[in-house]
Amino acid sequence: MNDPVRVGILYSATGTTSTIGQSQLQGAQLAIDEINESGGLLGRELVAVRYDPASTPARYAALAEQLIVRDGINVIFGCYMSSSRKAVIPIVEKWNRLLFYPTLYEGFEFSGNVIYTGAVPNQNSVQLADYMTSSFGARVYLIGSDYIYPYESNRIMGELVMQHPGSDKLGEHYLPLDATERDYAAIMQDIRARQPDFIFSTVVGDSTASLYRAYADAGFNPQTMPIASLTTSEAEIAQMGADVAAGHFTAAPYFQSIDSPANARCLARLRQRLGDDCRPNLCWEAAYFQMHLFANAFRQAGSDRIGDLLPHLLGSEFDAPQGRIRLDPGNHHTWLYPRVGRANAQGGFTIVRQATRAVSPDPYLVTHSLGDWTASLGALEN
Amino acid sequence: MDAEPNKETGSAATGRPLLERKPLLRATSPQLKELRQLRIAIVHPDDADGRLLAQQLQRIGCQVQAIWPPQPSLPEGTDVVFLAVRPDHLQLNYTWTQGEGESPPTAIAVVNYENPTIVSAVLELQVQAILPTPIRSFGLLSTLVLARRNHKESRQQQQRIAKLQAKLLGQRRVAEAKAILMQTHQINEDQAYDMIRAQAMSRRSSVEDIAQAIVHASEILSLGKGVVR
Repeated sequence: MNDPVRVGILYSATGTTSTIGQSQLQGAQLAIDEINESGGLLGRELVAVRYDPASTPARYAALAEQLIVRDGINVIFGCYMSSSRKAVIPIVEKWNRLLFYPTLYEGFEFSGNVIYTGAVPNQNSVQLADYMTSSFGARVYLIGSDYIYPYESNRIMGELVMQHPGSDKLGEHYLPLDATERDYAAIMQDIRARQPDFIFSTVVGDSTASLYRAYADAGFNPQTMPIASLTTSEAEIAQMGADVAAGHFTAAPYFQSIDSPANARCLARLRQRLGDDCRPNLCWEAAYFQMHLFANAFRQAGSDRIGDLLPHLLGSEFDAPQGRIRLDPGNHHTWLYPRVGRANAQGGFTIVRQATRAVSPDPYLVTHSLGDWTASLGALEN
Repeated sequence: MDAEPNKETGSAATGRPLLERKPLLRATSPQLKELRQLRIAIVHPDDADGRLLAQQLQRIGCQVQAIWPPQPSLPEGTDVVFLAVRPDHLQLNYTWTQGEGESPPTAIAVVNYENPTIVSAVLELQVQAILPTPIRSFGLLSTLVLARRNHKESRQQQQRIAKLQAKLLGQRRVAEAKAILMQTHQINEDQAYDMIRAQAMSRRSSVEDIAQAIVHASEILSLGKGVVR
């Protein structure tokens, strides 16, 4: 029997971002099971060495070094918050190892030791701004959690919206990660007075549910003044309840409701293992397909060392649940399929717009354009 | 995606009134907006650092041209030059960074030593920033943006200083011319100024130029007679 191929996994099973961390674990594990059931990696079993960084950047850094130095791991899959990724990058650069990062983020980064499989703003913000301004108007109210991702996301959204005639920014508020319904209720009073066309939320984590509940309690109507988000996924909807989320919008490359054989097969295999105890979402899907990208590259390289893997990884493609994705050789980010979904009464999303072809990642784009033809989506609605 | 709570405001915020803050949305600065229009020359050997530099600038979206060995002039319309300052090329005399009159490119030195010989060479080149090797992708964008801003500001300041110097010199000439007129015509200061101004009006010239002409004429007339002033 050959030695197993061991890879490191750093997704948080506990702490503030554990809801998404758990689903990223499920995505990675599903891919590992599939790989082993189909003969493993050149006859070797793929085995995950897993630690729980507990949503704490310093733990991410310490555990990454432990994986590399003590466990002899060459490839790590992990991280959600930008702060956790920033903590791990110096470690993988120091030891020249490879990190796969399956999360949307604000862009403006490249490390030769990282593969980025989540969306950057030209793959979600532009499409969301386009849809919201053309459907509801361009008078926007911005609410975010208090840290860098919302600041940069809101900068981009503000710039995009202000390109639209009749645009206005009616408010911009940042609340702590542990903000409650009462905190949001105060903002709802201001929203009632200012009457925006839509609300752009960059609130993340558990307080997402508080925001949507405060909105519902205020008696607002999502048909005339919905919330638009890049981070409110099926997982957050399960936390807040489908009735609270229904009618609001999210832009993402993946929704559970994607109608494709690849997605149906993947979801069936997941439910076979976990039953209904899972909330597949954009981060679950990226965690899933990036494991397969690694496996395919390993089969060609016969090694898990970064120098051997990269030539086979860069430019490689995979039939992911969202569509056929591709790793960009120039910037290590991924060609993805932007979509806009409206939350429905069943806790999922009804897809109202989707890309007809994969959109290239442009992580260093400063000025985005509304109506950019490379980013335009095909209509599915009605 | 980042979720690092802001420690200063991050305590449980239940029911407290909202903290009013300065809105974060501000106009994106011109140095960030111009990044994709920048024409950049990389004067650097074709090695790992030179290639990393070119690749990262291309990711940012700049138009990049690599040049090696160094040439006597840069391609037309170069906005920024990254220049390898190395022990084996110290004797080269680069003149691009001191281009007078026209607008010289923003210059960023790429250094692999920081001993006094190299640092002195960098100072002499009047660069706007330094990039140490080995090159890392992180930090390049910030260095580039800051160098552009500093370069633009220092050029604007130089222009402003030149204008002020000319203005100051003109004022001194006017004072001298007034003194000459007051002495030769036995008039007061206001009358002397009015005379200069009337001349400037009828000759469609500036007060400073007329003053200069008066001072000049007075110097010629007083040749051999000692000092008039």
